[in-house]
Amino acid sequence: MMAGAGQPMTAVQKVMARASGQAHVAVGDVVHPEPELVIIHDGYVESARAELAKLGYARITRPERVMFVTDHEVSYASQRAVERGRNIRRIAEEWKVGHFFDVGRGGHGHIYPMEAGHVRPGMFLFAYDMHCTNFGAIGAVAVGAGAEITTVLATGTLWTEVPESVRVELDGTLRPGAHARDVGFLLAKGFTQGSWDVDHDNRVIEFAGSGIASFDLASRVALCNTLTEIGVANVVFAAPPPGLDVSEAADFTSDPQAAYAGRVRLNLSEIKPQVALPGSPDRAADIEHVVGTPIDHAFIGACGSAMYEDFAAAASMMRGRRIADRVRMFIGPGTNAIAQRLADDGIIQAFIEAGAMVLPPGCGPCAGGAMAPLGPKEVSISTAATNHSGRFGAKDGEVYLGSPLTVAASAVAGRLVDPSQFFGR
Amino acid sequence: MEPSFKKRGTCHLFGDEIPLDEGIMAFKFAIERVNDPKLLIPHLFEQVDPTFAGRVKPGDIVIAGKSFGCGKPHIQGFVAMAALGLGVLCQSMPHKSLRRAVAAGLPVLTGCVGLTQFASNGNEVEIDFTSGAARNLSTGIVAQFSPLPPILQDILAHGGSAGSLRAWLQAHPELAAAHVAPAA
Repeated sequence: MMAGAGQPMTAVQKVMARASGQAHVAVGDVVHPEPELVIIHDGYVESARAELAKLGYARITRPERVMFVTDHEVSYASQRAVERGRNIRRIAEEWKVGHFFDVGRGGHGHIYPMEAGHVRPGMFLFAYDMHCTNFGAIGAVAVGAGAEITTVLATGTLWTEVPESVRVELDGTLRPGAHARDVGFLLAKGFTQGSWDVDHDNRVIEFAGSGIASFDLASRVALCNTLTEIGVANVVFAAPPPGLDVSEAADFTSDPQAAYAGRVRLNLSEIKPQVALPGSPDRAADIEHVVGTPIDHAFIGACGSAMYEDFAAAASMMRGRRIADRVRMFIGPGTNAIAQRLADDGIIQAFIEAGAMVLPPGCGPCAGGAMAPLGPKEVSISTAATNHSGRFGAKDGEVYLGSPLTVAASAVAGRLVDPSQFFGR
Repeated sequence: MEPSFKKRGTCHLFGDEIPLDEGIMAFKFAIERVNDPKLLIPHLFEQVDPTFAGRVKPGDIVIAGKSFGCGKPHIQGFVAMAALGLGVLCQSMPHKSLRRAVAAGLPVLTGCVGLTQFASNGNEVEIDFTSGAARNLSTGIVAQFSPLPPILQDILAHGGSAGSLRAWLQAHPELAAAHVAPAA
C-alpha cells in the first residue's frame, strides 16, 4: 500500500494523482504529470520552436497531444503577423502537431477547446498561457507553464508541486446588475489584501456552496478567469456546471474530508457591481466610486467574458439604445460557434444597431493592443483578463475592468455607470 | 559555463515587492519577447535603481525583501541576472517566479529570515546555494538559510532548464535534428 493511499484528497490532488499514475499524492509532492493535451497560442509557437531548435531539437515528444490555437493576433493587423502565421503553419507541419486551429478556425484557446470537447472534466493538461485556468469551470486542471512549456514539448511533462487548496463557499444569489466578474474582482482584492488571513500564492481556489448551482458555464469561466492574475496555482469548481454530462468523466470532486489551507464564505446577495481600477484585476472598487468617469473605448470579450451568455446579457441592455457618440465599442465572441449562435439569435444585430463593431473570435485588444487598441490618456471599460499599464497598447491609457453588464451600460451612457439602474432597483 | 552553487560577491539590497515587470526589467522587453542577455543586462533594475547596471559585477548577490519578482512571471529579468552569474537571497518569492528564475539558471534562496541583519549594501558575502550556508566576509556574521528543494537544485545543476533539455536530448537522440527516423 502506498503512503497516503485512502487519505482524502482535494479535486486537484485527484487529477494530479491520476495524471502521475499514482493512487495518492500529498500537498507539496513533486510530480511529473502526463498531460492529455498541451496548448500553445500563436504568440509563443515561434519562440518555443526557436528555443528548442537552438538546443538541437528537431522533434517534440508526443506531438499528437499538442494543440496550436490562434487567438492573439487573429486577423493579422501587421505584416509581422502575416509572417508569424506562415511560420506557425510550417512549424505545425514540421512537428506534426495533433491539433492545429489556424487563423479563423475554432476560436479562443481558453474557450474553444472546452466547447469542442477537447478539454473535458477531470482532465489534466499543460498550456503556455496562464489564463488556461478557465478550464477549472468544467473541472479540468490546466497548468500554465509559461516559458517552461518548452520542457513539456521536449520531454512530455514538467515538474509540478501538488498545491494546497482554499475553499471558497458562495451562498445566496446575485442581485440584478451584479455578475460573476464582480464576485471575482472582490475575491481577488480580498486575497491580495489578506482579508481572510489565508495566503493565495500557488494555491488552488476551489469554489463550492449553494450559490454555485445557479452559475452557468459562462459565470464559472468569469470567476476562474478573474482570480488568475493574483498568482493562484489554479481555480476549480467543486461541482460540474448545470447541463454538463459528467457520467463518463474521471472523478474531479474533492473528498468531503479533504484538508484546506483556509475557507472563505461570501454571500452573493451582498455583492454590488464593481470595477477593477487601472493597474490590476484585484484593484476592485464599488462602481459608485467611479460613476461618471467619461470613457472612449468599450470592449466585451477576451478569455473571461466571451461566451454566449455574456453577450446575451449585455445585449439585453443595449437593445433599442445607441452607444454614446464619442465611444467606440468592440465585441469579440469567444469562438466561431458562439459568433454563429449570436448571429442566429439576433444578438450580434443588437450590438451592430447600437453602433458596436464585431471583432473576430480571440483576445481582442487584451493581447497587448494589437487589435482595437487604446490611445494615450484614453479611458476604457472592458471585460479583459487584466488591465496593467500598456495592456491595450498605450502605456498611459486607463483601463478599467467590469462585467459585461457594466461595459454595456457604460458604452450607452458614454461614462462609467452602475448597470443596476437598468434593472429598476 | 559550469554551474556554481557557491557564490562570492558584493551585496545589493532591495526592498519588498520588487515586481518582475517595471521593477527587475521593463515590461516592453517581455511583450517584445527579447531574450538576449546582452540587450537585457543594461536595463536590469533600471526602474528601481538606474545606477545598478553600471556597478553590478558578475557573481554579485541580490538581497531582497518580501515577494521578490511579483507580478506576471516574465523571465527577461531572470535571464539577465542568470547571465551575469548573480545569486538571490530573499524573504519570499511567488512560486511561479521562483520556478521561472531557476529555469533561467538563477540560484535563489527564498524564505530567508533576518536578511537586513545579515548584510548591508556593499558587503562582501559568500553563499552556498546547495546547503543554504551564508557568510558575510565584511562583518564575520554567519547565517543558515533553507536550501532549495531537490528538484530545483537538480535543474540548477544543469544550469537551468536549457541545460536540463540538452541532457534530455542526449538521452533521447531520436528528437535531434541529426537523427534519421526509420521509414514508416
